[in-house]
Amino acid sequence: MKNLTLSIIAVTMAFITVSCNQVSNKNEQSSNDTSDVSQEQTVSQPNGGDTIAAPGVSETPNGQQTTATEQEKKFSIAPIVTDYLSLKNALVSDNDKAAASAGKKLLATLNKVDLKAIPADKHKQYMEIADDAKEHAEHINENVGNIHHQREHLAVLGEGLKDLIELFGTTQTLYQNHCPMFNDGKGAVWFSENKEIKNPYYGSKMMTCGKVEKTITGK
Amino acid sequence: MGLAVILIGIQFFQPLRNQSDEVPATHIEKVYSVPQNVNAILAQSCYDCHSNNTSYPWYSRIQPGAWYLAEHIKKGKEELNFSEFGEYSARKQRSKLRAMSGQIKDGEMPLSSYTLIHRNAILSEEDKQILMKWFGAMEDSIK
Ligand SMILES: [Cu+2]
Repeated sequence: MKNLTLSIIAVTMAFITVSCNQVSNKNEQSSNDTSDVSQEQTVSQPNGGDTIAAPGVSETPNGQQTTATEQEKKFSIAPIVTDYLSLKNALVSDNDKAAASAGKKLLATLNKVDLKAIPADKHKQYMEIADDAKEHAEHINENVGNIHHQREHLAVLGEGLKDLIELFGTTQTLYQNHCPMFNDGKGAVWFSENKEIKNPYYGSKMMTCGKVEKTITGK
Repeated sequence: MGLAVILIGIQFFQPLRNQSDEVPATHIEKVYSVPQNVNAILAQSCYDCHSNNTSYPWYSRIQPGAWYLAEHIKKGKEELNFSEFGEYSARKQRSKLRAMSGQIKDGEMPLSSYTLIHRNAILSEEDKQILMKWFGAMEDSIK
């Protein structure tokens, strides 16, 4: 009887325990979905002149036949970069709440991306990066009070962003920086809009830890 | 009295069970060679909430606990499902391996609400080291 009472108490307590990672399934994109999207894209290409690229990018003036290369120019990761930078800056200033809302904003931006504007040959890679990034953005949003955890997610986001920049380029000039200490000494990458080192992984504890590895000139 | 009636009443509404006899081809054990000692820890401490096969405790039949459990397992699987690990993209696999390692290091997983009852799911220091080492090596090996 004592055991039963204990278990009931335990189960009840478990009810009110809020855990990290209470994530919904809405971002999960199965491989089936992905292939559907690319099929859709192929179908819509003949009259594809009216597809709009990422938010903030305007249509081609004549709205006629758009070739793959033109489409490539139209798709821009700029909105993603902007949100990443404000998330990064929130963590530089040790602000977990600001990081959480920046994570939410990034998630919304990722959900808004017009997948049809992405060139077919880069579609799969984009989807994999974005699916992963959404989960990180979501966890960052859910982890007010656990800035270390938010930073762990930023580190993986940084790797995703690096691949996105390789795939699509950047309109804004960015600095690729390396922190040698984070992730158990394995190191972590981050991007910044300024050359000056402000470490988002340690914030005020080790603000100037890290080095600029590369300058990526905006085009 | 009213409460008692409700408590007895809800016992008749049992959620579907998360159980499966076969190990799917997408299970982590089928896609990668998981060392025996690692596998034993995963089965003991992780699979109840992160696979398609839960070994249910006796009180899991008692409501409202059963609903809580079902909800908990659903969320756990959405986050990470070892039974579907092979379906994840390489990027997601690496991401999950890194996250698992971090969560174990920080003592965030297994959840304390779970180990409160499942005392045998608690990871010893040695278990943690074994898992973290393996997760790390796996993360580096997947390209
Ligand atoms: Cu997390």
